[in-house]
Amino acid sequence: MRVVWSTYKKIRIGILRAVPWSFMVSRVTTGVVQIVFPYFIYIYFMKGNLNSQFSQYTDGADYMTYIVLGAALNVLAVSTLMNIGRALITELREGTLEMLLLAPASRNLYFLGCLLEQTTRAMLEFGTVLLVGAFLGADLRYLLTLRALAAILLAVFGFFCMGIFLSGIMLYTRDTYITQNTLFITMSLICGITYPNQYLPEWVQLFAQIFPLTPAVTLFRNIMIGRQYMGDNFQLILQVLLLSGMYLLAGLWWNKRLERRLIESIFG
Amino acid sequence: MKGTTIGQPMMIRAKHLVKDYVLQEKKGLFWQRRKKTIHAVSDITLEIPKGKIIGVLGINGAGKTTTIRMLASLITPTSGTLTMDGVDGVKNHLWVKEHINVISGGERNLYWRLTARENLRYFGNLYGISKKALNERIAHLLRIVGLENAQDIPVERFSKGMKQRLQIARGLINDPEYIFLDEPTLGLDIMIAKEIRELIAKLAKEREKGLLLTTHYIAEAEELCDYIYVLDKGKIIARGTKEELKELFTYRPQLSISTDLKEKQSILEELKESFCDRITIEIGQNTVIHVTGDSQDWSKVLNVLFERQVKIYNLSIHEPNLEEVLMEIISQSREEQHEKNPVSNEGRDCKTAAE
Repeated sequence: MRVVWSTYKKIRIGILRAVPWSFMVSRVTTGVVQIVFPYFIYIYFMKGNLNSQFSQYTDGADYMTYIVLGAALNVLAVSTLMNIGRALITELREGTLEMLLLAPASRNLYFLGCLLEQTTRAMLEFGTVLLVGAFLGADLRYLLTLRALAAILLAVFGFFCMGIFLSGIMLYTRDTYITQNTLFITMSLICGITYPNQYLPEWVQLFAQIFPLTPAVTLFRNIMIGRQYMGDNFQLILQVLLLSGMYLLAGLWWNKRLERRLIESIFG
Repeated sequence: MKGTTIGQPMMIRAKHLVKDYVLQEKKGLFWQRRKKTIHAVSDITLEIPKGKIIGVLGINGAGKTTTIRMLASLITPTSGTLTMDGVDGVKNHLWVKEHINVISGGERNLYWRLTARENLRYFGNLYGISKKALNERIAHLLRIVGLENAQDIPVERFSKGMKQRLQIARGLINDPEYIFLDEPTLGLDIMIAKEIRELIAKLAKEREKGLLLTTHYIAEAEELCDYIYVLDKGKIIARGTKEELKELFTYRPQLSISTDLKEKQSILEELKESFCDRITIEIGQNTVIHVTGDSQDWSKVLNVLFERQVKIYNLSIHEPNLEEVLMEIISQSREEQHEKNPVSNEGRDCKTAAE
């Protein structure tokens, strides 16, 4: 556990010394804009009207609750994927990867330390989005229940596992900006964040199923809006777990190979 | 159980280590991939006993850093064996990592936003050192490297020398039995480099660590190393103590005698006849006779000069330094290889002082 805790402290101290508050402000602002922007369109452009298809696809959910829950989980997904994904490439760029790989510490514990740090930070953004959403009229009365907490934890686990795989992509391409931004935009467009993805062509809907965010956000809404229990959503839970397992195994296997190759090709 | 094998010598022993890199080159309009194998290191055999400083010298691209990375289990050798205190270092690379550390020159390998203390604490935790032991070790190491007063300052505000001293403390955080020093005094000023060299010597002599040192500064190797391997193009081309290396290439000391022989042509002729292959004569304002060979050769020449009542203005002895020897070794190796195979870029067979 000391590796987890010390990695958490190392990242947290580094961030606080580098960008004490501006980083947080920028990310909270992004989260808030994600709900304020559709809110304005909904209120001033659509005059609060939605077609019947929306109601059919969302089991009669109100639009604000729908987008607030989607945006909140999207914020969590983006920050988890971003921080886990670029953890090793950041070490590489800062020149500390070689010494990290030299130590006998488990890489999984290192990643868990990164997860702990980023989750505590991302929860602040997550909470802000929900708070602003509640202010704009979202119904969040089931948020403080064990089933909602379980759904959030399951989602974070899914994002973490995908982040490990993303880490491999970043190390392989030596790129962070294009890799992460392309992925994040794609996810927010097709995973059902601000509108049901049933509006999209069928093949896009199928493609969206490879991201843990798609079943996770449906599960979260089923609990928060549909008042369902975790047990009612076995298929969604299984999908998140299966995707997580696949990403985790592939990511760990790939990272292990890439780490050695990096040492050979970059420093050698 | 990966403890040391009873009866095995306490040393790192590498036998016939080879490291080939396979690179993929993308060429052409459609980025066709072509594989290219680079022989970074070929057939390296070396030993690092405890309490000794082993030097690995060579010019850039000689294979020094690749060798260190193989010994430190950062990369896997393509072939060859590596044992540490009798334990297979390739199979048990995690165990090896617990007992070694690397200290590199330059300003990388530290977290600049953390303080010296925070850096050491983080790396100590990666090695699983208990909290109490880690606190004591951090205090001890900061004292050794003279950073006690700067322990709570972020590393980004450190000078180059301070960063290098912190690197040394980081390299000792797990109390390693073997330490690989890769250009540890790179870019440091004379005084700090001297301090660091003293510290390195103490690690071997007083704390019985086995050290492997790569350096571009030949004087540093000459001062510190008990045994030296010379690498070129991934191969060991010579090895021995610094004295043995000097012997190996018949690079003898030279006595230079400054005289008034300008006007005494007959004596010069006599000297040339008697010591033809051992003297060279340089005629300038004074005539300087350079005598190579041992002290017996020198006294014979001096006796002739005394008998002829030649006035001697000055005597000086030039000992070849390791840098001259190293350059000689590398150029001889390349010439021999070129003669053997004019097209190939490979190095030549190893020369050993003991042979």
